Amino acid sequence: MAGLELLSDQGYRVDGRRAGELRKIQARMGVFAQADGSAYIEQGNTKALAVVYGPHEIRGSRARALPDRALVNCQYSSATFSTGERKRRPHGDRKSCEMGLQLRQTFEAAILTQLHPRSQIDIYVQVLQADGGTYAACVNAATLAVLDAGVPMRDFVCACSAGFVDGTPLADLSHVEEAAGGPQLALALLPASGQIALLEMDARLHEDHLEQVLEAAARAARDVHALLDRVVRQHVREASVLLGD
Amino acid sequence: MLQKREKVLLLKTFQGRTLRIVREHYLRPSVPCNSPLCSQPTVCLNDGKLLSSDVTHYMIPDWKVVQDYFEILEFPELKGIIFMQTACQAVQHQRGRRQYNKLRNLLKDARHDCVPFANEFLQDCYLPREQGESMEKWQTRSIYSAAVWYYHHCQDRMPVIVVTEDEEAVQQYGSETEGVFVISFKNYLDNFWPDLKAAHELCDSILQSRRERENERQESHRKEYPEHLPLEVLEAGIKSGRYIQGILKVNKHRAQIEAFARLQGASSKDSGLVSDILIYGMKARNRSIHGDVVVVELLPKNEWKGRTSALCENDSDDKSSGESTSEPMPTGRVVGILQKNWRDYVVTFPSKEEVQSQGKNAQKILVTPWDYRIPKIRISTQQAEALQDFRVVVRIDSWESTSMYPNGHFVRVLGRIGDLEGEIATILVENSISVAPFSEAQMCEMPVNTPENPWKVSPEEERERKDLRKTHLVFSIDPKGCEDVDDTLSVRTLSNGNLELGVHIADVTHFVAPNSYSDIEARTRATTYYLADRRYDMLPSILSADLCSLLGGVDRYAVSVLWELDKTSYEIKKVWYGRTIIRSAYKLFYEAAQELLDGNFSVIDDIPEFRDLDEKSRQAKLEELVWAVRKLTDIARHVRAKRHGALELEGVEVRIQLDEKKNICDLIPKQPLEVHETVAECMILANHWVAKKIWESFPHQALLRQHPPPHQEFFSELRECAKAKGFFIDTRSNKTLADSLDNANDPSDPIVNRLLRSMATHAMSNALYFSTGSCAEEEFHHYGLALDKYTHFTSPIRRYSDIIVHRLLMAAISKDKKMESKENLFSNKDLEELCRHINNRNRAAQRSQKRSTELFQCMYFKDKDQETEDRCISDGVIYSMRTNGVLVFIPRFGIKGAAYLKNKDGLVISCGPDSHSEWKPGSLQRFQNKITSTTTGGESVTFHLFDHVTVRISVQASRCHSDTIRLEIISNKPYMIPDTELFHQSSLLLKSDLVKEVTRSVEEAQLAQEVKVNVIQEDCEKYCQTKGRSLYTLLEEIRDLALLDVSNSHGI
Repeated sequence: MAGLELLSDQGYRVDGRRAGELRKIQARMGVFAQADGSAYIEQGNTKALAVVYGPHEIRGSRARALPDRALVNCQYSSATFSTGERKRRPHGDRKSCEMGLQLRQTFEAAILTQLHPRSQIDIYVQVLQADGGTYAACVNAATLAVLDAGVPMRDFVCACSAGFVDGTPLADLSHVEEAAGGPQLALALLPASGQIALLEMDARLHEDHLEQVLEAAARAARDVHALLDRVVRQHVREASVLLGD
Repeated sequence: MLQKREKVLLLKTFQGRTLRIVREHYLRPSVPCNSPLCSQPTVCLNDGKLLSSDVTHYMIPDWKVVQDYFEILEFPELKGIIFMQTACQAVQHQRGRRQYNKLRNLLKDARHDCVPFANEFLQDCYLPREQGESMEKWQTRSIYSAAVWYYHHCQDRMPVIVVTEDEEAVQQYGSETEGVFVISFKNYLDNFWPDLKAAHELCDSILQSRRERENERQESHRKEYPEHLPLEVLEAGIKSGRYIQGILKVNKHRAQIEAFARLQGASSKDSGLVSDILIYGMKARNRSIHGDVVVVELLPKNEWKGRTSALCENDSDDKSSGESTSEPMPTGRVVGILQKNWRDYVVTFPSKEEVQSQGKNAQKILVTPWDYRIPKIRISTQQAEALQDFRVVVRIDSWESTSMYPNGHFVRVLGRIGDLEGEIATILVENSISVAPFSEAQMCEMPVNTPENPWKVSPEEERERKDLRKTHLVFSIDPKGCEDVDDTLSVRTLSNGNLELGVHIADVTHFVAPNSYSDIEARTRATTYYLADRRYDMLPSILSADLCSLLGGVDRYAVSVLWELDKTSYEIKKVWYGRTIIRSAYKLFYEAAQELLDGNFSVIDDIPEFRDLDEKSRQAKLEELVWAVRKLTDIARHVRAKRHGALELEGVEVRIQLDEKKNICDLIPKQPLEVHETVAECMILANHWVAKKIWESFPHQALLRQHPPPHQEFFSELRECAKAKGFFIDTRSNKTLADSLDNANDPSDPIVNRLLRSMATHAMSNALYFSTGSCAEEEFHHYGLALDKYTHFTSPIRRYSDIIVHRLLMAAISKDKKMESKENLFSNKDLEELCRHINNRNRAAQRSQKRSTELFQCMYFKDKDQETEDRCISDGVIYSMRTNGVLVFIPRFGIKGAAYLKNKDGLVISCGPDSHSEWKPGSLQRFQNKITSTTTGGESVTFHLFDHVTVRISVQASRCHSDTIRLEIISNKPYMIPDTELFHQSSLLLKSDLVKEVTRSVEEAQLAQEVKVNVIQEDCEKYCQTKGRSLYTLLEEIRDLALLDVSNSHGI
């Protein structure tokens, strides 16, 4: 449908948000007892589950061990029921490999890996429902799970996507907006230092506009950080109450 | 803050399966209500357009009303309309993008009192659709509940009227809430706008045409046309190269048969086709109308046809003259329409006899559009008889595959057929020019300048602007009697010996703020329209003729470009742009300036500025002025020479303009004065430097003007013609073209050169405005002027593009000073759209000017007795060959037209020994540059290219279309005054003749003589503002003749 108007003249998006507004975010930490750390996040209708094991000894080939830092191993998968049409997604297809690699790069930049040489940290992420911004949801969920596992990090890693329609940058794209085929930028940010852990962009965007889109994504990522921070504090408060008994 | 809801949609996929989609829907506690009665302004945060506060009620149209009666809602008289988001979305989904964009523009238009209301995003208004509730019911319910909310939001102070077409809704909601009324649309118009006759008529006509359509749908007709393919198939087909996308252009002379699809952008590159695609016949055209974007499928090669090259009159409908076609070209048929470009059409109702012959269904009437290229339109109306003698505007509603002709409805009456005002209005509507008088709101924005309250330079401006009043000798050179002076010049010697050249342009943007009412109006008009006898200004006259006009002896704001030039080499050292205050010392006219330049000082008596001076200071001032004019000319000569390899090209550009309105220019002295070139050169220099400046500051959103190089194949005709006369035209580059055109001069016949130049002009593409962001830098080139960058900067009073360029330049200056730019500039996309609009309007302006000139020519020749009046017989030059006739140019009147060598009965022309022509049976034979007519008796006569012949001019009257000039060759020898050198003189004679005739007929008419004369004089004063150097005066007189005749025939 070419006729869909992504941004109306009054400044509303298809789902009623304004250009800079995020979707509703809800998150919980410590959803599984067996794992070292776990978290569940909902960003609008995108739902993701992340589980962290480690740091532990290298499994499998010992040759993979790194002498000076820990190995971060990320696996991404997406449930068959996650999209509108039910579709089988075999393990290890191109898309999930790529996503796993991106997650790995993101978290290698954030986790203080040099504290655990010759060991391994596993991060497993599964998307239960995909409605746009899956990468961002995965990163946010994984951050909470890593925090839950107590693995030392430089900072939160907060991710958000941004698009560009009619000269206006849109934060946190939904599936409808992604499907329209405009430029889309995914940003993972370390909010305290403002460093960028990962920046990805598909489709073409004029250089002149890049800065404002980046700015919009960064602002959205900071907003996400505020939310995640609240979730962590809430979780810690609950845990300490339980411990205090 | 936001509340999340979910909407479940069931969509059908392309494979036909149903898909359940869940979309989020966020609700917010407040949305802008845009009402001045808002009870919580801090919550609503209204910005932008508000409803006016002086309405008696608010009107909320239902979704159905917005869809069906949108044209009525566009009436500016209807005020206080609130468009609910639900209704807007229904329009978008069901009526497509075209109508939705109309709605968007209406909402954006500051002059129109209507606002949008995002009811679906407001917590208190959003109603989820219930199980089993139909879409329509839900929409009506949502709109009603939003209306109730709105009423309470405005503290119950303003009654709200929901207008719907749904009887049930009237029943159900009518008395549910006090203060919110639900009535039908017809009822609403009757109760609230009983006097708005136009709206009632339009409403009836829409209703009727809709009823007709419904009836038709029920009757099962046989199919007249194949169905259009669905959009996805078309898009896929275009991508795969199976179908080709193009714009449909109907051949004006063979509207029933021939149309061409002009290829657009990418598709022409991929398919390897260079030419247009021929669409042969109405069936293959498949309901597309001139201007539509169509998708074409090519036919197999054995079905390809050639285009017809014979001259043809339009009334011979289907008699295709198959014998005289050229070689086959790609032929195709339309399989779908991507975008319909329907507009308002001017039509004529059939006369009484014709109506009767149309037969059984008297309700539906076939009307004939004024434009030949548009098919007849079927109208349902009962007023057919009353409308017979009028030109009428209609709109097309639909064209079903079961119907031979499109269905339409009647909109309004323009005027009587043949009446000058009616015909002019027709020309305006056909070119989509709307020239309502300037609105009250707009006039309120204007500054005041009356004798009691004169306009003054404000102190703040004086501080910010550079003051040139004391330091510079500024003067203007314009045509005689010009009132809107937008450019002035200055030149002086600096203290370091260098020269300073200055071009000062009226600062229109100071008075016209972006997005003010005047700005919006000026943007819509885009240019001042010059018709043969009148002018429609882009800006109100207080600006165009007074405050923005750089008149002599008064302080005015200006935007200046100052160059510092080396004293000897005239090389540009420095350039300064900025806002200034100037006082023009002299308002010269071209002839006077030329005399000064030539050292002939007798003209100083004509210059009013010198009149009241004593001899001594007069001498000093004169010397100063003469020095400036001479220096200026000198500089212009140098600058011109420096424009690399384009020594004659400026001339070409000017000639293009002249040629396009050739009929107007005929009376201009043939040799342009050097002063013309001097002024033009300074303007080109200013335009060029401003173009460079704004492009450097805003590489992606500057408005420039390009002139793409012409296609070589278009020059073939020119080369052939020149060869016939023994000239060689080298078209490889702009310089060689200019040179060889200069050489192609036949000393015995200067018209040959003019015709060749006009052909060269025809072969060239038009210069266009564009946005730099949408074009590669190599394409910026201006072919005609041989400049790499060019724009229009020097006439902001009559061109909107110049206003944009002024704003860009101002923004560039403040950017240089590291200041935050106050003006919000257009983005590349918006600017591109604006450029397209301005280009369109310019073309429309040219067309309407040409059309109105033709109209006057026809009116002039209409009442002449062809046999006795010797003015109807004139000398003509053959400039092109066709299989059954020739195209002739008449230098004396500047008319171009076709003359047949073979008439409708199949007789051919033959010339006896006395060279007078007769019609005899025979045959024609066409060669490259001659055509021979041989009678059965063995006599033959040959016409060569550039032969002079004698033609008789007559007018072919037409009821439904514009009258046309007909030419008839009455002798193959030149007319009595064969010395063509004299034609210039003779046309001057003609002018004085006309003046005499005007006065004589005025006397004879004895119709309130003085009043008439006064009117003429007033008109002259009013219209002589800009086009001093035009046929204007002549046409003014012709117009007067026409007026007299009309009033005579009606009065008696």
